Amino acid sequence: MNYIPTIGVEVHLELKTKTKIFSNSTNGYGEMANSLTNVVDLGYPGTLPTLNEEVINIGIKAATILNCKIRKQMHFDRKNYFYPDNPKNYQITQARTPIGYDGYVEIEVNGEKKKVEIEEMHIEEDTCKSAHRGNKTLLDFNRAGVPLLEIVTKPCMSSPEEAKAYLEKLRELMLYGNISDCKIEEGSMRADTNVSIRKKESDPFGTKAEVKNIGSISNVGVAIEKEIERQKKIYDNGETFKPQTRRFDDKLQDTVLMRIKETGNDYRYFPEPDIPFVVLTDEMIENVQKDIPMMPDERRKVYVEKGVSEINTNKLVQNRPLSDYFNELLNENTNFKIASNLLLGDISAYLNKKDIQITDTKLTKEKFLDLIKKYEDNTITSKNLKEILDIIMESDKSIDEIMKENGIENITDDSEIREVIKTIIKNNPDSVNDYKNGHDRAIKFLMGQVMKETKGKANPKLANDILVEELK
Amino acid sequence: MKYNGMGIEEIHKLLKEKKIKPIDLVEEAFKSIEESGLNAYITLNKEEAIKQAKELENKEVDNILFGLPIAVKDNIVTKGLKTTCASHILDNFIPIYNATIVEKIKEKNMIIIGKTNMDEFAMGSSSRTSYFGAPRNPWNKEKICGGSSGGSAATIANRDVLFALGSDTGGSIRQPASYTGIVGMKPTYGRISRYGLVAFASSLDQIGPMTKNVYENAVLLNAITGKDHKDLTSVETNEDFTRMIGEDIKGMKIAVPNFFMSEIVSDEIRNKVKETIKVLESCGAKVDYVDIKYIENAVTLYQIIAMGEASSNLARFDGLRYGHSIEEPKDINDLYYSTRAEGFGDEVKRRIMVGSYLLSGENAKTYYNKALSIRDDIRKEFKNVFKKYDFVIGPTTTTTAYNLDDPMDDPSKSFMDDILVIPVNMAGLPGLNMPIGFDKDHMPIGMQIIGNSFEEAKIYKLASYLEKKLDLNLIPGGEK
Repeated sequence: MNYIPTIGVEVHLELKTKTKIFSNSTNGYGEMANSLTNVVDLGYPGTLPTLNEEVINIGIKAATILNCKIRKQMHFDRKNYFYPDNPKNYQITQARTPIGYDGYVEIEVNGEKKKVEIEEMHIEEDTCKSAHRGNKTLLDFNRAGVPLLEIVTKPCMSSPEEAKAYLEKLRELMLYGNISDCKIEEGSMRADTNVSIRKKESDPFGTKAEVKNIGSISNVGVAIEKEIERQKKIYDNGETFKPQTRRFDDKLQDTVLMRIKETGNDYRYFPEPDIPFVVLTDEMIENVQKDIPMMPDERRKVYVEKGVSEINTNKLVQNRPLSDYFNELLNENTNFKIASNLLLGDISAYLNKKDIQITDTKLTKEKFLDLIKKYEDNTITSKNLKEILDIIMESDKSIDEIMKENGIENITDDSEIREVIKTIIKNNPDSVNDYKNGHDRAIKFLMGQVMKETKGKANPKLANDILVEELK
Repeated sequence: MKYNGMGIEEIHKLLKEKKIKPIDLVEEAFKSIEESGLNAYITLNKEEAIKQAKELENKEVDNILFGLPIAVKDNIVTKGLKTTCASHILDNFIPIYNATIVEKIKEKNMIIIGKTNMDEFAMGSSSRTSYFGAPRNPWNKEKICGGSSGGSAATIANRDVLFALGSDTGGSIRQPASYTGIVGMKPTYGRISRYGLVAFASSLDQIGPMTKNVYENAVLLNAITGKDHKDLTSVETNEDFTRMIGEDIKGMKIAVPNFFMSEIVSDEIRNKVKETIKVLESCGAKVDYVDIKYIENAVTLYQIIAMGEASSNLARFDGLRYGHSIEEPKDINDLYYSTRAEGFGDEVKRRIMVGSYLLSGENAKTYYNKALSIRDDIRKEFKNVFKKYDFVIGPTTTTTAYNLDDPMDDPSKSFMDDILVIPVNMAGLPGLNMPIGFDKDHMPIGMQIIGNSFEEAKIYKLASYLEKKLDLNLIPGGEK
């Protein structure tokens, strides 16, 4: 029997703020356990939350990038449940007034474009990290109070490929927006997925299983695939199952039952009385929005318009620092094709070799524009460039100075080269005759003479053009 | 003569002229506390207070509160000094930080004498839910001194110290102040940082000063208000609350809600308030009886909001990180259940359970959200009254202090003790209790003065005017 899967995805992102969301503890990863905590994070009696404005700004930014509507007046809510990793035994979240809602992300699967609808995105605090050692559980409060953004899609995807494409796209967008470092292996991006199947579109949604704890985007695909198979088997056998929470087991590469969902899980939500309502003005929102960098899809569009090849365009967009650098050139009148070739060719090789970023080099925008120009008109050949690239990248000197110091002095003066060529033609009548009789090899000899006479400094392309012209 | 019974300016002068030292006040306080047998304190800060008093001898007396002893309610955290909230679950809890208000009184070089007795987690109206037994009323030791700030009220009435801090969620400063014949102010919500006040009902809790007279109350309030970046609900204030004291009250307009003078209040108290109203009128104030909608519903709203919030606020006491914890729990749920079953008293458990129920599922909408919306209506009602009137006044309590051994089997009784003070918390307004006389058994009767938001200074003006006019002898057992 054939079934239609319905898939929704919930993503938790840890935000890259300096301090935690409700206290001034440092927001950091990989530090000694419980070294980044204070009385607020520990839920000490009498403590109160403060609100990190940076989190609100990142929320506005993320909501904008995900095409969400932004809630101008919002509050926080308490989600009450007892769990050892939950220091106050309530989590401060946004249950009723998520900062963003009704957004979408555009994905492409098998050449087909689709909008994945975002139901809502809200701000909340992370819990402690638990480590199980034998029959003991250790708690690390460094993570308690780290700001999270939870992004919830509508149940609008119908294949593992779509879910994966959504996650890849979301990750790309959130990295570009500097929202989160999106490291799944460090837990700064965590994905849960809801899967159900039904026979036809007109049927109500099937019973839902939530799969948690999936350690990579590709495993999200595996988890969904396995879950669809599992549910199919149950239905095909004429059986049913209860709504449940499952986890993905990395070793088994399959989903495993965690718990059956109890009806009416009661978190006793109510508005957090310790944090006044947050009111966002148009000005605050605009201030954040004006600093949002160009997103990947727009970059792709602009690069192609500027004449950059599709391959180079994709390579650039995948390399955020180079792409940002490239964006600085967009308002200049230059050869973007050469610019992209240089950046992705010799310059990338240099950066990889040195293991540094383009911004760590001495290649200013002006210097790069000069290089593109010289490369375009052959003042610098690719051979030359290989010789002096290290110096260009590491020295404050101008390209002209560098060329001079390294004896690269291509004669690009038309008349100077023409004079030399005229003399050579006069002195080598035999070769000229050979050429006129169709012996192409003769031109190579004449070019050799030109280079010899100019000590190799004549721009070869230019010299060749003039020679052909003079030989007519 | 007890120094701690003198007026603040007199003591300040003696300190300044080096005729007495802070240690004299501190030693006198401890002697008085120990002799009183009032059980007003859960923890005395003896060693530290004496040490601090001696250190102050070499310092300049630079402000009017310098070197003066103060009692702190035991739900305000004090670094290194046990803070129990009168509960078994925190009976060995030694905080690692100071409440903002504690930092403020330390800045003034005030000396913390000890932590005062109270109802467990401030839940009660007679301080009898304390794990450490109830404090006694200095006017009659067989009677309650009210609650939840009962210990703070008792120690002021007994003239052990000049100053005490209380907290008021649903009348817990004003009601015990009324029962013990002292002045207690619940300032406007947000006036004083709540950082370090162990939360009962966050949207209602407010710390306030308790003193023997109006002027000293205003002086202490001066030292403890202000915006605190650690409490987002606190507000910036920069004013002298004593500035209107001594001004005339001629032409002031006063409203008396009919509800406050209805059958629910004892004849004796009603008559005393009526007498006081006549005094005010004779001084040129204009008094009207008015209806304020919803104030008769305030107790119901309070029960929903306070218990709902309390059920969440008290969830953190789980035996994991601090406070009481059972030995050898079978599993995490056993740790939760057994620690909380052992640690909390009956009244606290009752309120957590009712509060959890009120927030469960659809109930949150039916009860909690509805209560919040009616609370807004009460606010608006008061706002309208204050368009026409300077003050709202009435009795603070329906009866005077009752016997310590009166039955505690009716859980709603304690809310009825606070029926006249709770509307003020609902509206977030400032309210003050001041003594206006005595009943036939010579137990104090109190009156509350309610002002518009942030008009504490004006309340002090009326209260101090009346205080002078009435000129009552407010020392239990006569001159000491």
